[in-house]
Amino acid sequence: MPKTIMVVDDEPDIRATVKTVLEKNGFKVITAVNGDDCLDKLKKEKPDLILLDIMMPGTPVKEIVPKIKGKIAYLTVVRVTEAEKEQLLKNKNIVDFIQKPFDINDLVKRVKKLTA
Amino acid sequence: MRLVEMELAKELKENQVVLLLVEGLEYNDLSLKVARELFGKKVCYVTLNKTCPSILETFSKAKIKSDNVKFVDAISKTITGKAKDTDSCLYLSSPGALTELSIAISEFIKKGYDYIIFDSLTNLLIYQGKGPVAKFVANLITKIKASKTRAVFYALKVDQHQELIQEASMFVDKVVDTSK
Repeated sequence: MPKTIMVVDDEPDIRATVKTVLEKNGFKVITAVNGDDCLDKLKKEKPDLILLDIMMPGTPVKEIVPKIKGKIAYLTVVRVTEAEKEQLLKNKNIVDFIQKPFDINDLVKRVKKLTA
Repeated sequence: MRLVEMELAKELKENQVVLLLVEGLEYNDLSLKVARELFGKKVCYVTLNKTCPSILETFSKAKIKSDNVKFVDAISKTITGKAKDTDSCLYLSSPGALTELSIAISEFIKKGYDYIIFDSLTNLLIYQGKGPVAKFVANLITKIKASKTRAVFYALKVDQHQELIQEASMFVDKVVDTSK
């Protein structure tokens, strides 16, 4: 059974690129356009990992995360310090913090590791 | 000093409100150049894409003193949910809270700050539509122009934001395309 990844990002280019690359690497990929869409799709899907953009329109991510039970890796264009990153990673759901723009090969490696 | 730096210094000196169009790869470099140019003055730096501790760390690593700078951080609370105001940083609830943002910036204009640096216009579009953002920009620039405060707005030069850039261009004194 392929592992399932949910890509939640308001930018269509990011969703499309990440979906294509992860599918080529054997993952099943679901996409969502924002946090609310993510929560809606989680009623039917149980992804192994959610790649969640930290800055999106709609309900803020800080209100979405507590409603998610699975593993989340943040995708973010926002610059934070190492200390802030560690603080965010203390949340049991948050397993990684991936800075945009990311190297697509590095992203695949991290997704493989996080779903192994 | 490279030509682009000389021109930048000149434009900032000659124009009250400048819109800097920046390409993604040049963005960090340019924000350091502007900081080097302006941070000796009384500056209000509005950040929508870096947390206040992160921006302080960046300037400190680049050996740029930011003692005269008051940061308005509109992003931290959206990510962490908690952030307390400090002497150097005022935290707003969200980058999409345009009224809150406008009130905060107006206070710095009233206090007679020399510069407002707005980093960046294009980040606003993640949270709000073009209409409200354009209205916010027009109102803000009107307030700035009625004062002695000067302002620098950053905008990422990407096709999807052309409409806002064009709209903002009508209100500023000078548009500087840093890629040219």
